[in-house]
Amino acid sequence: MKCRGTGVEFRVGVRAGYATVVAEWLSGCVMFSGFKEVREDEKSQMVGKVFSNVASNYDLMNDFMSGGLHRLWKDRLDFVCIFVLIISFLSSRCFLYFTCSAQFIRLVSKLSPFPGMKHLDVAGGTGRLSLLNEVYVKNAECAGDVAFRILESVNSIKRRALQDPLNDDLQEETRIHVCDINPNMLDVGKNRALEKGLGEDKSLVWVQGDAEALSFEDNSMDGYTIAFGIRNVTHIEKVLSEAYRVLKRGGRFLCLELSHVDIPVFKELYDFYSFSVIPRLGEIVAGDRESYQYLVESIRRFPPQEKFALMIADAGFQKVEYENLVGGVVAIHSGLKI
Amino acid sequence: MVRLSKWLLKEAGTVVDKTLSDILVCPLSKQALRVCEEPPSLISDSIGVSFPIKDGIPCLVPTDGKILDTDDTMKHDNAADDSANNK
Repeated sequence: MKCRGTGVEFRVGVRAGYATVVAEWLSGCVMFSGFKEVREDEKSQMVGKVFSNVASNYDLMNDFMSGGLHRLWKDRLDFVCIFVLIISFLSSRCFLYFTCSAQFIRLVSKLSPFPGMKHLDVAGGTGRLSLLNEVYVKNAECAGDVAFRILESVNSIKRRALQDPLNDDLQEETRIHVCDINPNMLDVGKNRALEKGLGEDKSLVWVQGDAEALSFEDNSMDGYTIAFGIRNVTHIEKVLSEAYRVLKRGGRFLCLELSHVDIPVFKELYDFYSFSVIPRLGEIVAGDRESYQYLVESIRRFPPQEKFALMIADAGFQKVEYENLVGGVVAIHSGLKI
Repeated sequence: MVRLSKWLLKEAGTVVDKTLSDILVCPLSKQALRVCEEPPSLISDSIGVSFPIKDGIPCLVPTDGKILDTDDTMKHDNAADDSANNK
Protein backbone atom coordinates (compact mmCIF):
# COMPACT_ATOMS: atom_id res chain seq x y z
CA MET A 1 0.00 0.00 0.00
CA LYS A 2 1.46 3.31 -0.96
CA CYS A 3 0.58 6.48 0.86
CA ARG A 4 -0.28 9.03 -1.78
CA GLY A 5 0.66 11.97 0.35
CA THR A 6 4.16 10.96 1.22
CA GLY A 7 5.07 8.17 -1.17
CA VAL A 8 5.96 5.97 1.77
CA GLU A 9 5.34 2.31 1.03
CA PHE A 10 4.31 -0.09 3.71
CA ARG A 11 2.72 -3.50 3.93
CA VAL A 12 -0.37 -3.75 6.06
CA GLY A 13 0.06 -5.92 9.13
CA VAL A 14 3.78 -6.32 8.81
CA ARG A 15 5.51 -2.98 8.66
CA ALA A 16 4.20 -0.11 10.64
CA GLY A 17 5.32 3.41 10.11
CA TYR A 18 4.56 6.90 10.94
CA ALA A 19 3.09 8.75 8.06
CA THR A 20 3.89 12.29 7.26
CA VAL A 21 0.77 14.21 7.94
CA VAL A 22 0.47 17.75 6.86
CA ALA A 23 -2.46 19.25 8.58
CA GLU A 24 -3.27 22.83 7.82
CA TRP A 25 -4.43 24.61 10.93
CA LEU A 26 -5.89 27.99 11.30
CA SER A 27 -2.68 29.84 11.84
CA GLY A 28 0.20 27.95 10.40
CA CYS A 29 1.17 24.48 9.45
CA VAL A 30 1.92 21.66 11.76
CA MET A 31 3.92 18.86 10.32
CA PHE A 32 4.47 15.52 11.93
CA SER A 33 6.81 13.03 10.46
CA GLY A 34 8.82 10.09 11.46
CA PHE A 35 9.48 6.58 10.46
CA LYS A 36 9.84 3.48 12.54
CA GLU A 37 10.16 -0.08 11.44
CA VAL A 38 9.04 -2.91 13.70
CA ARG A 39 8.91 -6.66 13.51
CA GLU A 40 5.56 -8.32 13.82
CA ASP A 41 6.26 -9.77 17.25
CA GLU A 42 7.16 -6.38 18.65
CA LYS A 43 3.99 -4.76 17.39
CA SER A 44 1.91 -4.87 20.58
CA GLN A 45 4.85 -3.80 22.71
CA MET A 46 5.35 -0.85 20.47
CA VAL A 47 1.72 0.15 20.73
CA GLY A 48 1.95 0.23 24.50
CA LYS A 49 5.16 2.22 24.36
CA VAL A 50 3.74 4.64 21.86
CA PHE A 51 0.69 5.33 23.97
CA SER A 52 2.72 6.07 27.05
CA ASN A 53 4.99 8.21 24.91
CA VAL A 54 2.07 10.15 23.66
CA ALA A 55 0.60 10.49 27.10
CA SER A 56 3.78 11.99 28.41
CA ASN A 57 4.25 14.25 25.43
CA TYR A 58 0.61 15.30 25.40
CA ASP A 59 0.59 15.11 21.68
CA LEU A 60 -1.76 12.64 20.07
CA MET A 61 -1.17 13.42 16.43
CA ASN A 62 2.57 12.99 16.67
CA ASP A 63 2.42 9.25 17.09
CA PHE A 64 -0.51 8.29 14.96
CA MET A 65 -0.06 5.14 13.00
CA SER A 66 -1.46 4.37 9.61
CA GLY A 67 -3.40 1.51 8.12
CA GLY A 68 -1.26 -1.30 9.44
CA LEU A 69 -2.27 -0.88 13.03
CA HIS A 70 -5.87 -0.07 12.28
CA ARG A 71 -6.95 -3.63 12.97
CA LEU A 72 -5.02 -3.68 16.20
CA TRP A 73 -6.71 -0.52 17.40
CA LYS A 74 -10.15 -1.92 16.71
CA ASP A 75 -9.48 -4.57 19.32
CA ARG A 76 -8.38 -2.01 21.82
CA LEU A 77 -11.08 0.50 21.03
CA ASP A 78 -12.11 1.24 24.59
CA PHE A 79 -8.53 1.86 25.52
CA VAL A 80 -8.25 4.30 22.66
CA CYS A 81 -11.39 6.13 23.70
CA ILE A 82 -10.39 6.56 27.29
CA PHE A 83 -6.94 7.58 26.19
CA VAL A 84 -8.39 10.20 23.87
CA LEU A 85 -10.55 11.56 26.66
CA ILE A 86 -7.63 11.83 29.06
CA ILE A 87 -5.38 13.45 26.50
CA SER A 88 -7.96 16.03 25.55
CA PHE A 89 -8.70 16.92 29.16
CA LEU A 90 -5.01 17.26 29.93
CA SER A 91 -4.04 19.12 26.86
CA SER A 92 -6.79 21.56 26.05
CA ARG A 93 -4.22 23.81 24.42
CA CYS A 94 -3.32 21.17 21.94
CA PHE A 95 -6.89 20.92 20.76
CA LEU A 96 -7.48 24.63 20.60
CA TYR A 97 -7.63 24.41 16.85
CA PHE A 98 -10.42 21.88 17.10
CA THR A 99 -12.62 24.15 19.12
CA CYS A 100 -15.43 26.23 17.85
CA SER A 101 -13.88 29.47 19.07
CA ALA A 102 -11.07 29.29 16.55
CA GLN A 103 -13.47 28.41 13.75
CA PHE A 104 -15.94 31.12 14.70
CA ILE A 105 -13.15 33.69 14.84
CA ARG A 106 -12.21 32.73 11.30
CA LEU A 107 -15.83 32.91 10.20
CA VAL A 108 -16.39 36.35 11.69
CA SER A 109 -13.15 37.71 10.24
CA LYS A 110 -14.41 36.82 6.76
CA LEU A 111 -17.48 38.87 7.45
CA SER A 112 -15.64 42.18 8.07
CA PRO A 113 -18.27 43.51 10.49
CA PHE A 114 -18.93 47.25 10.51
CA PRO A 115 -21.00 49.59 12.69
CA GLY A 116 -24.55 49.94 11.49
CA MET A 117 -24.58 46.54 9.84
CA LYS A 118 -27.62 44.33 9.79
CA HIS A 119 -26.68 40.73 10.18
CA LEU A 120 -28.56 37.48 10.37
CA ASP A 121 -27.16 34.44 12.10
CA VAL A 122 -29.27 31.38 11.39
CA ALA A 123 -29.20 28.28 13.58
CA GLY A 124 -27.37 30.59 15.97
CA GLY A 125 -28.16 28.39 18.86
CA THR A 126 -26.76 25.15 17.72
CA GLY A 127 -23.04 26.01 17.64
CA ARG A 128 -21.97 22.42 17.21
CA LEU A 129 -18.33 22.02 16.74
CA SER A 130 -15.39 19.77 16.85
CA LEU A 131 -15.88 16.08 17.13
CA LEU A 132 -14.17 15.89 20.47
CA ASN A 133 -16.10 18.74 21.95
CA GLU A 134 -19.38 17.25 20.87
CA VAL A 135 -18.94 14.44 23.30
CA TYR A 136 -18.51 16.45 26.45
CA VAL A 137 -19.45 20.00 25.66
CA LYS A 138 -23.13 20.66 25.38
CA ASN A 139 -24.23 22.42 22.23
CA ALA A 140 -25.95 25.09 24.26
CA GLU A 141 -22.65 26.31 25.60
CA CYS A 142 -22.00 27.88 22.24
CA ALA A 143 -25.44 29.34 21.71
CA GLY A 144 -25.21 32.77 20.20
CA ASP A 145 -21.43 32.64 19.88
CA VAL A 146 -21.25 33.90 16.32
CA ALA A 147 -23.58 36.80 17.11
CA PHE A 148 -21.56 37.80 20.19
CA ARG A 149 -18.32 37.79 18.26
CA ILE A 150 -19.77 39.96 15.51
CA LEU A 151 -21.16 42.41 18.03
CA GLU A 152 -17.88 42.60 19.93
CA SER A 153 -16.05 43.11 16.68
CA VAL A 154 -18.36 45.96 15.73
CA ASN A 155 -18.08 47.52 19.20
CA SER A 156 -14.30 47.36 19.06
CA ILE A 157 -14.39 49.24 15.76
CA LYS A 158 -16.46 51.92 17.44
CA ARG A 159 -13.91 52.26 20.24
CA ARG A 160 -11.12 52.66 17.73
CA ALA A 161 -12.98 55.19 15.62
CA LEU A 162 -12.99 58.88 16.39
CA GLN A 163 -15.78 60.04 18.61
CA ASP A 164 -18.13 61.71 16.20
CA PRO A 165 -21.92 61.89 16.12
CA LEU A 166 -22.25 60.07 12.81
CA ASN A 167 -20.48 57.00 14.10
CA ASP A 168 -22.57 56.97 17.26
CA ASP A 169 -25.74 56.94 15.20
CA LEU A 170 -24.45 54.11 13.09
CA GLN A 171 -23.61 52.19 16.22
CA GLU A 172 -27.23 52.53 17.30
CA GLU A 173 -28.34 51.03 14.02
CA THR A 174 -26.21 47.89 14.24
CA ARG A 175 -28.47 44.88 14.51
CA ILE A 176 -27.54 41.25 14.81
CA HIS A 177 -30.50 38.93 14.44
CA VAL A 178 -30.19 35.43 15.79
CA CYS A 179 -32.67 32.97 14.35
CA ASP A 180 -33.07 29.37 15.48
CA ILE A 181 -35.87 26.86 15.21
CA ASN A 182 -35.28 25.74 18.79
CA PRO A 183 -36.57 28.11 21.50
CA ASN A 184 -34.40 26.58 24.22
CA MET A 185 -31.24 27.44 22.33
CA LEU A 186 -32.42 31.03 21.99
CA ASP A 187 -33.15 31.21 25.73
CA VAL A 188 -29.68 29.94 26.51
CA GLY A 189 -28.27 32.42 24.04
CA LYS A 190 -30.19 35.27 25.66
CA ASN A 191 -28.90 34.26 29.10
CA ARG A 192 -25.36 34.06 27.82
CA ALA A 193 -25.80 37.54 26.38
CA LEU A 194 -26.82 38.74 29.84
CA GLU A 195 -23.76 37.11 31.38
CA LYS A 196 -21.54 38.81 28.86
CA GLY A 197 -23.16 42.14 29.62
CA LEU A 198 -24.84 42.33 26.23
CA GLY A 199 -28.30 41.85 27.68
CA GLU A 200 -29.26 45.51 27.50
CA ASP A 201 -27.85 45.83 24.03
CA LYS A 202 -30.69 46.53 21.66
CA SER A 203 -28.49 45.34 18.84
CA LEU A 204 -29.28 41.68 19.52
CA VAL A 205 -32.62 40.43 18.26
CA TRP A 206 -33.65 36.88 19.07
CA VAL A 207 -36.20 35.31 16.78
CA GLN A 208 -37.50 31.79 16.64
CA GLY A 209 -37.95 30.79 13.05
CA ASP A 210 -37.40 28.31 10.27
CA ALA A 211 -34.35 28.77 8.04
CA GLU A 212 -36.48 27.59 5.10
CA ALA A 213 -39.04 30.38 5.65
CA LEU A 214 -37.32 33.41 7.14
CA SER A 215 -39.34 36.22 8.64
CA PHE A 216 -37.16 39.02 7.31
CA GLU A 217 -37.69 41.37 4.42
CA ASP A 218 -36.04 41.00 1.06
CA ASN A 219 -32.70 42.75 0.69
CA SER A 220 -32.43 43.64 4.35
CA MET A 221 -29.23 41.98 5.58
CA ASP A 222 -25.59 42.90 5.04
CA GLY A 223 -24.45 39.49 6.17
CA TYR A 224 -25.82 36.01 6.68
CA THR A 225 -24.10 33.26 8.60
CA ILE A 226 -25.09 29.71 9.34
CA ALA A 227 -22.72 27.75 11.53
CA PHE A 228 -23.17 24.01 11.83
CA GLY A 229 -26.83 24.35 11.04
CA ILE A 230 -27.26 23.64 7.35
CA ARG A 231 -26.44 19.99 7.78
CA ASN A 232 -29.62 19.55 9.82
CA VAL A 233 -32.12 21.22 7.52
CA THR A 234 -34.57 19.29 5.38
CA HIS A 235 -34.20 21.30 2.19
CA ILE A 236 -30.81 22.86 1.69
CA GLU A 237 -31.91 24.60 -1.53
CA LYS A 238 -34.74 26.40 0.28
CA VAL A 239 -32.37 27.64 2.96
CA LEU A 240 -29.96 28.90 0.31
CA SER A 241 -32.67 30.68 -1.65
CA GLU A 242 -34.03 32.29 1.52
CA ALA A 243 -30.52 33.43 2.35
CA TYR A 244 -30.27 34.96 -1.12
CA ARG A 245 -33.60 36.68 -0.68
CA VAL A 246 -32.83 38.42 2.63
CA LEU A 247 -29.34 39.56 1.68
CA LYS A 248 -28.79 43.04 0.28
CA ARG A 249 -26.85 43.50 -2.92
CA GLY A 250 -23.23 43.21 -1.92
CA GLY A 251 -24.21 41.09 1.04
CA ARG A 252 -22.14 38.09 2.01
CA PHE A 253 -23.28 34.56 2.70
CA LEU A 254 -21.09 32.46 4.99
CA CYS A 255 -21.58 28.87 5.96
CA LEU A 256 -19.46 26.97 8.48
CA GLU A 257 -20.04 23.25 8.38
CA LEU A 258 -18.48 19.88 8.99
CA SER A 259 -17.31 18.64 5.64
CA HIS A 260 -15.29 16.01 3.81
CA VAL A 261 -11.63 15.17 4.26
CA ASP A 262 -9.50 14.27 1.27
CA ILE A 263 -5.95 14.16 2.59
CA PRO A 264 -4.85 10.52 2.25
CA VAL A 265 -3.82 9.27 5.67
CA PHE A 266 -5.69 11.90 7.61
CA LYS A 267 -8.86 10.71 5.90
CA GLU A 268 -8.43 7.19 7.28
CA LEU A 269 -7.66 8.63 10.69
CA TYR A 270 -10.75 10.78 10.56
CA ASP A 271 -12.96 7.92 9.37
CA PHE A 272 -11.70 5.67 12.14
CA TYR A 273 -12.22 8.45 14.65
CA SER A 274 -15.73 9.17 13.37
CA PHE A 275 -17.09 5.68 13.04
CA SER A 276 -15.34 3.88 15.86
CA VAL A 277 -14.18 6.33 18.47
CA ILE A 278 -16.98 8.88 18.49
CA PRO A 279 -19.95 6.51 18.89
CA ARG A 280 -18.07 4.56 21.54
CA LEU A 281 -17.18 7.78 23.34
CA GLY A 282 -20.81 8.83 23.11
CA GLU A 283 -21.77 5.53 24.69
CA ILE A 284 -19.29 5.89 27.53
CA VAL A 285 -19.79 9.56 28.29
CA ALA A 286 -23.40 10.24 27.37
CA GLY A 287 -24.87 6.76 27.25
CA ASP A 288 -26.13 7.46 23.76
CA ARG A 289 -24.48 5.65 20.91
CA GLU A 290 -27.24 6.13 18.34
CA SER A 291 -27.21 9.94 18.33
CA TYR A 292 -23.51 10.10 17.70
CA GLN A 293 -23.72 7.37 15.11
CA TYR A 294 -26.41 9.43 13.37
CA LEU A 295 -24.34 12.57 13.72
CA VAL A 296 -21.34 11.01 12.06
CA GLU A 297 -23.44 9.59 9.25
CA SER A 298 -25.17 12.91 8.68
CA ILE A 299 -21.78 14.53 8.24
CA ARG A 300 -20.92 11.99 5.56
CA ARG A 301 -24.30 12.43 3.85
CA PHE A 302 -23.83 16.18 3.52
CA PRO A 303 -22.58 17.10 0.03
CA PRO A 304 -18.81 17.51 -0.35
CA GLN A 305 -17.25 20.93 -0.65
CA GLU A 306 -17.42 21.23 -4.44
CA LYS A 307 -20.99 20.03 -4.70
CA PHE A 308 -22.17 22.34 -1.94
CA ALA A 309 -20.38 25.23 -3.63
CA LEU A 310 -22.36 24.44 -6.79
CA MET A 311 -25.60 24.47 -4.82
CA ILE A 312 -24.73 27.89 -3.43
CA ALA A 313 -24.01 29.15 -6.95
CA ASP A 314 -27.34 27.72 -8.12
CA ALA A 315 -29.11 29.84 -5.54
CA GLY A 316 -27.73 32.90 -7.30
CA PHE A 317 -24.59 33.70 -5.36
CA GLN A 318 -21.46 34.88 -7.13
CA LYS A 319 -17.80 34.44 -6.26
CA VAL A 320 -18.55 31.23 -4.44
CA GLU A 321 -15.50 29.84 -2.68
CA TYR A 322 -14.65 27.62 0.23
CA GLU A 323 -11.86 27.29 2.74
CA ASN A 324 -10.99 24.04 4.44
CA LEU A 325 -10.11 24.17 8.09
CA VAL A 326 -8.41 21.29 9.87
CA GLY A 327 -7.76 19.51 6.61
CA GLY A 328 -11.40 19.55 5.52
CA VAL A 329 -13.04 18.46 8.76
CA VAL A 330 -14.65 21.89 8.75
CA ALA A 331 -15.23 24.08 5.72
CA ILE A 332 -16.29 27.70 5.37
CA HIS A 333 -18.24 28.36 2.19
CA SER A 334 -18.86 31.92 1.13
CA GLY A 335 -20.78 33.68 -1.61
CA LEU A 336 -21.70 37.20 -2.60
CA LYS A 337 -25.04 38.53 -3.72
CA ILE A 338 -24.30 40.91 -6.52
CA MET B 1 -37.94 52.30 42.99
CA VAL B 2 -39.53 48.91 42.49
CA ARG B 3 -42.51 50.46 40.76
CA LEU B 4 -40.20 52.47 38.54
CA SER B 5 -38.21 49.42 37.44
CA LYS B 6 -41.42 47.49 36.78
CA TRP B 7 -42.70 50.35 34.66
CA LEU B 8 -39.39 50.51 32.81
CA LEU B 9 -39.52 46.82 32.04
CA LYS B 10 -43.06 47.14 30.76
CA GLU B 11 -42.06 50.10 28.62
CA ALA B 12 -39.03 48.21 27.33
CA GLY B 13 -41.31 45.34 26.46
CA THR B 14 -43.59 47.48 24.33
CA VAL B 15 -40.66 49.25 22.68
CA VAL B 16 -39.10 45.94 21.80
CA ASP B 17 -42.39 44.71 20.38
CA LYS B 18 -42.70 47.75 18.15
CA THR B 19 -39.16 47.29 16.93
CA LEU B 20 -39.94 43.68 16.20
CA SER B 21 -42.89 44.54 14.01
CA ASP B 22 -40.68 46.96 12.11
CA ILE B 23 -37.98 44.39 11.51
CA LEU B 24 -39.95 41.21 11.03
CA VAL B 25 -42.36 40.07 8.38
CA CYS B 26 -44.64 37.07 8.07
CA PRO B 27 -42.53 34.01 7.20
CA LEU B 28 -45.18 32.76 4.79
CA SER B 29 -46.47 35.83 2.97
CA LYS B 30 -43.46 38.11 3.67
CA GLN B 31 -45.93 40.92 4.47
CA ALA B 32 -45.83 43.25 7.47
CA LEU B 33 -46.83 42.09 10.94
CA ARG B 34 -48.99 43.79 13.55
CA VAL B 35 -48.21 43.71 17.26
CA CYS B 36 -50.91 42.39 19.56
CA GLU B 37 -50.50 43.21 23.26
CA GLU B 38 -52.69 40.59 24.88
CA PRO B 39 -51.76 37.79 24.43
CA PRO B 40 -48.37 39.00 23.21
CA SER B 41 -48.19 38.01 19.59
CA LEU B 42 -47.46 39.17 16.07
CA ILE B 43 -50.37 39.03 13.66
CA SER B 44 -50.09 38.58 9.95
CA ASP B 45 -53.23 40.16 8.55
CA SER B 46 -52.44 39.06 5.01
CA ILE B 47 -53.02 35.40 5.82
CA GLY B 48 -54.87 35.73 9.13
CA VAL B 49 -52.33 33.96 11.29
CA SER B 50 -51.00 34.92 14.68
CA PHE B 51 -47.53 34.04 15.92
CA PRO B 52 -46.92 34.00 19.68
CA ILE B 53 -44.20 35.88 21.52
CA LYS B 54 -42.75 33.85 24.37
CA ASP B 55 -40.43 35.55 26.89
CA GLY B 56 -39.82 38.36 24.46
CA ILE B 57 -38.80 35.96 21.69
CA PRO B 58 -41.19 35.96 18.72
CA CYS B 59 -41.93 32.50 17.49
CA LEU B 60 -42.22 32.75 13.72
CA VAL B 61 -41.98 29.12 12.75
CA PRO B 62 -44.75 28.57 10.18
CA THR B 63 -46.13 25.51 11.92
CA ASP B 64 -46.46 27.40 15.21
CA GLY B 65 -48.87 29.97 13.88
CA LYS B 66 -52.50 30.00 14.94
CA ILE B 67 -55.16 30.72 12.38
CA LEU B 68 -57.50 33.54 13.33
CA ASP B 69 -61.07 33.29 12.15
CA THR B 70 -62.99 36.36 11.01
CA ASP B 71 -64.31 37.01 14.54
CA ASP B 72 -60.73 37.32 15.79
CA THR B 73 -61.08 34.39 18.17
CA MET B 74 -58.14 32.02 18.27
CA LYS B 75 -58.27 28.50 16.97
CA HIS B 76 -55.51 26.04 17.71
CA ASP B 77 -55.01 25.03 14.12
CA ASN B 78 -51.85 24.21 12.32
CA ALA B 79 -50.85 27.06 10.05
CA ALA B 80 -49.12 24.60 7.80
CA ASP B 81 -52.45 23.97 6.07
CA ASP B 82 -52.73 27.68 5.46
CA SER B 83 -49.25 27.85 4.03
CA ALA B 84 -50.03 24.93 1.73
CA ASN B 85 -53.09 26.84 0.46
CA ASN B 86 -51.04 29.97 -0.06
CA LYS B 87 -48.42 28.13 -2.07
